Amino acid sequence: MSLLRYTLRRFAQAIPVLIGIVTITFFLANQIPGDPVEIMLGPTPAQEQVEAIRAQYGLDRPIHVRYFTYLSGVATGDLGLSIYYDRPVLEMIMLRLPVTLLLMLSAFAFAIVTAIPLGVISAKRRNEPADHISRIVSLIGVSTPSFWIGLVLIIVFAFYLGWFPARGLVLPWADPADVRGAATRIEVLRQTAHHLFLPMIGLGTLQMAQITRIERSSMVDSLQGEYVKLARAYGVPESTIVRKHAFQVAQLPVITIIGLGLSTALGGAVLTETVFEIQGMGRLIITAINNQDYQLIMGTTLVFGFVYVIGVIVTDITYSYLDPRVTYGDE
Amino acid sequence: MSEPLLSVRDLKTQFFTEDGTVRAVDGISFDVNEGEIVGLVGESGAGKSVATSSILRLVDSPGEIVGGEIEFKGETIFGLEESDDGELRPRDEMLTEEEMRKRIRGREIAIIFQDPMESLNPVFTVGGQLREFIEINRDLDAAEAKEEAIDMLREVGIPAPKERYDEYPHQFSGGMRQRVLIAMALACQPDLIIADEPTTALDVTVEGEILEMVKDLQEKYDTSFIWVTHDMSVVAEICDRVNVMYLGEIIEQAEVDDLFYDTKHPYTSALLDSMPRPDETVDELRPIKGVMPEAIDPPAGCRFHSRCPEAREVCREVHPEPRDLSEDGEALHTAACVKHDAFDVGYDASPPIDTEATGGFSAGFTETGGEAE
Repeated sequence: MSLLRYTLRRFAQAIPVLIGIVTITFFLANQIPGDPVEIMLGPTPAQEQVEAIRAQYGLDRPIHVRYFTYLSGVATGDLGLSIYYDRPVLEMIMLRLPVTLLLMLSAFAFAIVTAIPLGVISAKRRNEPADHISRIVSLIGVSTPSFWIGLVLIIVFAFYLGWFPARGLVLPWADPADVRGAATRIEVLRQTAHHLFLPMIGLGTLQMAQITRIERSSMVDSLQGEYVKLARAYGVPESTIVRKHAFQVAQLPVITIIGLGLSTALGGAVLTETVFEIQGMGRLIITAINNQDYQLIMGTTLVFGFVYVIGVIVTDITYSYLDPRVTYGDE
Repeated sequence: MSEPLLSVRDLKTQFFTEDGTVRAVDGISFDVNEGEIVGLVGESGAGKSVATSSILRLVDSPGEIVGGEIEFKGETIFGLEESDDGELRPRDEMLTEEEMRKRIRGREIAIIFQDPMESLNPVFTVGGQLREFIEINRDLDAAEAKEEAIDMLREVGIPAPKERYDEYPHQFSGGMRQRVLIAMALACQPDLIIADEPTTALDVTVEGEILEMVKDLQEKYDTSFIWVTHDMSVVAEICDRVNVMYLGEIIEQAEVDDLFYDTKHPYTSALLDSMPRPDETVDELRPIKGVMPEAIDPPAGCRFHSRCPEAREVCREVHPEPRDLSEDGEALHTAACVKHDAFDVGYDASPPIDTEATGGFSAGFTETGGEAE
């Protein structure tokens, strides 16, 4: 089927982009002044020790050799060894990535579930009080940094009210035996939700605000379309017009914003994880940079780039699925 | 004569804008009889489209129907009455919004819009849209409605209707889309179809084909039409009777032959003269001079006097209501121009307005505001 072919072709087209990401990341990481070995061994290490460690991590070889070694490693799924953790980079990423994905997914779920009705109501009740409130909320949302929202949420809901925990995260797949106060899977999940609530809002608010704004303006346009006038003139109930006729056309720009939002949310996750002390990709990348852990910096950056590319591809595919005017390019 | 299908009396629709009240439709009256194609003609901005959306009670905000009556098959689409405290309020028998939607729109009165490119929803199939409207307005189930939709597509001359049913609007040409919209209107089996400049966006050969087709289908289904256009040649082609609109008013109303061969209003004459003809070059075109004044502050007296070649001083002062000027035994022919004896306001004795001095492009501006007061 052409949709499948289109999907495969889009992924194939992403390969050069990913090679580009690897290349740029590699050379940028290696341009950072300083040396991970110095950080490991302190200010006055013995020369032999330095050379031994450099050899162990392959840092003694010329840069172009290291580049091609790294590139072929990436192709086979080997991202090298983390100097700081002394474990394979891929292993560290596989440990942390699910945490960040969980945070991001819940943030997006929150954003989409609140923003789409808000935007639609706002457009339908244009220039009425409901619209003004939703516009003010979304304006505040887009102009407030996520870490600040996170801090305020902690102060209000964790510190003063004590409704939610301020830090950490219980992973939903954790063994109930390892989680304090949880005997069953259900209780683990309940604790996960409890912990996830504040970071989810902290990270999701910006997305929510952006999606609301686009949803509103897109629905306003769509509701003024001739096809909406036509549907009204043929006695289609107003609720059907909003839910079906105007809505589906209006979702195209919204999907673009959601797709692009994936990359902003990754950046936001770094800050949110720091504020809420969650051990995810954000914390990992910061640790990597602080310790000049080349392999880990490259590995995490690569994953971020990869997630971004996937976001764009998924956006394109959804777009071509929703809008019959977008062809798969093979006709 | 039997009751007309649609009767519009003194309809007034106004738009309340920041700059003031736009009197888009300012007291028009006309009838549509069964099986008739009635033209509504005028320049852009004359209020034709507002008049038609008023009939469906679908005037967009900030517009509002403020007065007059619309009766359709004995039902009151719009009608006001004075309540005890002197305020105007809708009459009890006026259809509610819900009744308008369920009983009138689509089911009894269908509409074809001007722009076929924009009127169909780009993300649904042509067939799906047709089927939905047929289902709503004919009480058919989905399968029956689909069959009806395919039949109707065949009827309006879409080749391979079964296959094209599942295609999207962007896969249709402009003319084909307009055929789809006509199919949509006919398939709902309304008694009246409002065609709002349906061929304006199409090229002339396609326009001709569509007009032919509508004429055939109109005979077959005996549907009445209100045909909105600015094109006198379309009027000649398709209409039985014609209403000529200028600045929110109907200034002449006649059967189509009478209108063309026994024109009573100078504006109608000007419209007819401005039609391009094959035996004339571009230099010989006689456009109506000036532009139509704003409906927000229409000129006093006859609204056309600022552009009228036959205007006299009396035209500045007297605002003529349309009167029947037909002679005994002739069909009704009304016009609103004081040059006819029926008005008897001293037109012949009145000195002509020096149209040369105020003519040309500036005429519309100088005569609209201060000077007239």
